[in-house]
Amino acid sequence: MRPVTPRGFRDVLPAEAAEREVLTLRLSDAFAAWGYERIETPVVERLDALEAAAGPLEGTAFRLVDLDGHLLALRPDLTVPIARLVSSRLADVAGPVRFRYAGEAFREHESLRGQARQFTQVGVELVGACGPEADAEVIAVLADALRTVGFERFTVAVGSVEVFNAVVAAAGMPESWGADVLAAAHERNFVELQRLADLPGVAETAARALREVPRIRGGREAIARCSDVASACGCDATLGALDETFALLEAAGVHESVMVDFSVMRSFDYYTGIVIEAYAPGLGLPIGGGGRYDGVLEAFGAPRPAAGFALGLERLSIGLLEQGVDVPVRRLDAVLGGPAAEALSAAARLREAGWRVAISSRAGRELVAEADERGAIEALFARDGRVVRLDRSGEPALPLEDPAPYPPSTSWAEGSER
Amino acid sequence: MIATSRGAADRRLRIAVPKGALLEGSVRLLEGAGLDTGALANPGRQLIITTDEVEYVIAKPTDVPIYVAYGGADCGVAGKDVLVEAALEVVELVDLHFGGCRFVVAGLEDAGDMDERYGHLGVLRVATKYPNIAQAHFDARGIQVELVKLNGNIELAPLIGIADVVVDITATGTTLKQNRLKIIEDVLPSTARFVGNPVAVRTDPRVTALADALSELSVES
Repeated sequence: MRPVTPRGFRDVLPAEAAEREVLTLRLSDAFAAWGYERIETPVVERLDALEAAAGPLEGTAFRLVDLDGHLLALRPDLTVPIARLVSSRLADVAGPVRFRYAGEAFREHESLRGQARQFTQVGVELVGACGPEADAEVIAVLADALRTVGFERFTVAVGSVEVFNAVVAAAGMPESWGADVLAAAHERNFVELQRLADLPGVAETAARALREVPRIRGGREAIARCSDVASACGCDATLGALDETFALLEAAGVHESVMVDFSVMRSFDYYTGIVIEAYAPGLGLPIGGGGRYDGVLEAFGAPRPAAGFALGLERLSIGLLEQGVDVPVRRLDAVLGGPAAEALSAAARLREAGWRVAISSRAGRELVAEADERGAIEALFARDGRVVRLDRSGEPALPLEDPAPYPPSTSWAEGSER
Repeated sequence: MIATSRGAADRRLRIAVPKGALLEGSVRLLEGAGLDTGALANPGRQLIITTDEVEYVIAKPTDVPIYVAYGGADCGVAGKDVLVEAALEVVELVDLHFGGCRFVVAGLEDAGDMDERYGHLGVLRVATKYPNIAQAHFDARGIQVELVKLNGNIELAPLIGIADVVVDITATGTTLKQNRLKIIEDVLPSTARFVGNPVAVRTDPRVTALADALSELSVES
């Protein structure tokens, strides 16, 4: 048979894998610079544990049954597993705790939608802290990370689910109406929201807020505009906190890429406060998102506030490609030929000096061709205790300095440290 | 899947326009909103029509939600029927109040009551172009069905005996009547909608501005 991967799963070959490695490292460094510690959780979780926090996952999670008859699921994100971990093994730690992660997540998709079923999430969770300071920190880390990986232009949209909840509560309508409103907001169906707002019996203030709030977006001044139409619905405290968050973002110097948008909704309904989405110009899908999910740890019996975000590594790569940003991948320094014993000892000396060296059994022109093919900077040949560079025609040219110089892939001659 | 667009950030606004029944109304409204609709009314075989401000992508109606959801187009016009069936992430911005039609369940005029047949056979055979909508409708009514997806001339299915009823759209009911079918019940009404890509709605003010302009026009009409 000719083997294939299951639909929506794929292999990652060296060129792409190298870029993904660099991106992951840079993001991890950016998160670590804020004091976030690396953490790992299993790829498989108990389905009931995930659903306790995230609601029904039918159609979203990959499910499996183990020999004990337990229903398991491949994690659809890393937020809930980390919340599970914090609420069990770290329940006694005072906190706040700051965790970062990079790992695969899995989601089911119908066929013929062109969607990947495995993707990589890189993100942070800040557990045990709340209020504008914590919200602003999470947003600032996100903006920092996007700048670090090379995005010159991006937008972080910040909204709050509390505003919508307040409007629904102030409408004086039955619960089913509220559920319809939230469903329409989730589906981003403005036409349906309009219809629900126009129904008889909806309090005038709530109807007006329902029509206008999802359309409000902009800088910090948008919060004031939202306050104008919605403060009668009793969400002043929420908007006040959001305004404070934005003041802190200004202090952190990241406000220019952040905007307020009250129509932002995320696909999981565990969010309780701010919701965040990040966009790269020209991409029709968000490159990341997150928000505050204070209810999740409560569902696990250890109530604590929490917020975080995840970036999709695959979408990040596409976004960078679209902006023409090269991900700087360190190349192979040299391919080294020569009698096996000589080549081995010469390569060992070079590696000690920091070189990346691949040994080859080829010589002359063929060795140069191999170096080209593998993207190596030098073609070297070891003989009689010396290492010489080969020229384009495969003839010995300049001998390599002894002791070995800095690896060419890291020297200033290559432009910058690579 | 994500649409990639080579230097997308500063490009013209890309609008997906459905060919067929909704084309004329779409052109009228876009023109009313102040856009140069250029050769849009008679595109010939051109698939993309470029004006100074915008790019129109001529789409098969059922493909509009796909283009918009994945960002291949920033916004577009699509029937509610198509949107419900596609179930993709697009922002439904404005009800354009044209292209009205309704989804109905229809069966043979002389075939007796649907419920009676269901009582005898326990399962209803349904032919449709819209399996998701049909399934959701019968699920909500607690009726068990076997769905057959067909790609056109749905009215044929009861005539040649491969289904008991059909779920299809109808504007006037003429085609149904000509094929000796009668409407049994309504499923949902549909009109044309102006839809936007979720990211474009948030980051491209041109989409919101066009939505506002269309919103005023469709109220007037």
